Amino acid sequence: MRLLSVPSSTGPASSSSVAVVRVQRKHHILVRWAHWTTIPLLLGLILSGISIYWSAPIFQHPTDATGNFDRAADIGIWLCAHVPGLHHYSTPPDWLYNHLSLGPGMLGVALRLHWFCAYLFMANGLLYLLGLALGGGWRALIPQRDDVVAGMRMIRYYSLAPFAFVLRRPLVHPMHSGKYNALQKAAYASVVIAGVLVVLSGWAIHKPMQLHWVAAAFGGYNAARVWHFCLMCFFILFVVPHVVLVLADGWDTLRSMITGWSLRTRNSSGGTP
Amino acid sequence: MTTNKQTIPPAEQPIAVSKRVSLPEDSFEVSSERFRIRTRRDVLIFGASALAALTAGTVLLPDETLQRLGVHRKLHPPGKDWLLDKAIDIDDDVAEALYSSNRRVPTYSKSQVTGLKNNYNGVTPGPDYIPTWTLTLSGLQSGLTLSLDLRTLLKRFALHEEITRFVCVEGWSEIAWWGGIRFADLLQAFPPVSQAKWARIESSVNLDANGNSDPYYVSLDIESAAHPQSLLATHFHGDSLTLEHGAPLRLIIPVKLGLKNVKAVTGITFLADQPEDYWRVRGYSRFDGI
Repeated sequence: MRLLSVPSSTGPASSSSVAVVRVQRKHHILVRWAHWTTIPLLLGLILSGISIYWSAPIFQHPTDATGNFDRAADIGIWLCAHVPGLHHYSTPPDWLYNHLSLGPGMLGVALRLHWFCAYLFMANGLLYLLGLALGGGWRALIPQRDDVVAGMRMIRYYSLAPFAFVLRRPLVHPMHSGKYNALQKAAYASVVIAGVLVVLSGWAIHKPMQLHWVAAAFGGYNAARVWHFCLMCFFILFVVPHVVLVLADGWDTLRSMITGWSLRTRNSSGGTP
Repeated sequence: MTTNKQTIPPAEQPIAVSKRVSLPEDSFEVSSERFRIRTRRDVLIFGASALAALTAGTVLLPDETLQRLGVHRKLHPPGKDWLLDKAIDIDDDVAEALYSSNRRVPTYSKSQVTGLKNNYNGVTPGPDYIPTWTLTLSGLQSGLTLSLDLRTLLKRFALHEEITRFVCVEGWSEIAWWGGIRFADLLQAFPPVSQAKWARIESSVNLDANGNSDPYYVSLDIESAAHPQSLLATHFHGDSLTLEHGAPLRLIIPVKLGLKNVKAVTGITFLADQPEDYWRVRGYSRFDGI
């Protein structure tokens, strides 16, 4: 921040000195809108999706003595047997579904909620892509030749950062010229690709006859269900470091996704998150 | 200090003019006052929207889920069912638009055939109804109501075989080998009234898990019924249909979810308007094209 004198048309010269800040336009309004609305939609899709999964699990084993064949139920049974405080849980096979979905035995309501969120998720995805195009944000996601080396440097930085913080030793953030560092670029570009794939695999499962070529592209109907499930896991795995790093990075980064403006201009030194 | 400042004449041009040229075009200067006001405005709007979204999201969750989360009050604003019904109606419209009578579903070889489980959780009726079983057709152009027995049907229409994927709304699927008469042939021999677009299909499999009456009926669009791969099947895996798979005649319609593949079909009524559907009144969709 510095003082800048501007000509004043109204008041006396005393009011002509104002504090100024240099601002970087960082996220287009459609990108910001789509970013935040994706959170409740993705949550609704995951909760209802796991409820739908309950009615016909993909990951099965031969039926055991208790009549169970669902690996997700096995996880619940294991947790209730080994985690202190869960020993008296009334329905161990349902533990996972009771905590990660709308609940077991709710296929009808889960499907309604899933379609509701899915259509909004697709519309939102289109708005996001439009925002990337209009705001020029797509350029920051295109991979470049030196991204692999730069990515390695970022992995080294992130691995050392907690130790440097604890030991109060200085650690220089690797330089990068664009909006994102190589790891961010990889994460944000792959989340866009995962978004496209999760929609396509969803259609493959939903319309395996009329869109049988889409199902075939994923390796068939059953394979498309596995794809859809794994892509959900990818979104969950993406969110954890995403939130941790934004919080670690500070208010400017979070604020820029709300207001669109960042105080870190691109030609200032590295460390632009 | 202030008096001193007053004596400095205002600059004719902003100082940063030459610098600005070298900066990226989307970076610019604003007064910190404006930056502060804009930040405060946007954060307030964001917070209010987040609260609204949280409320709306909570209200949309099913009552059972809310109870699990410790919300014991029933949240049932009038728009909730309307909104979620709208979502499945839109989804049904999409399914209807995606359907093409020219598009065949994939078929498989006999070596790819898997088993097919009996997924009915009600009581499968005993064989008593089979000797007196007939298929009743109504809503015909002739104005008649016809009752056809199995022998008549098999004598009149050619038998076709197909190996197709049977997809359940639950998510599982099986590849099964069917034999039967084409629904399209039946429609040609006994044309429905000209304005008919829908069919109501009824069944003899009508008992719930406790053996109480639980009539099963579905709605079916005639266009999908007329698809060349829609069968009134009498054979399963090379043998006559067993009771658990819907003897003596069941609907096999691979362009629909399994729940439209009615077992032991007893009646087909052709109608102009979409009839009620067993699953629709239970909160599922009703077109179910896949």
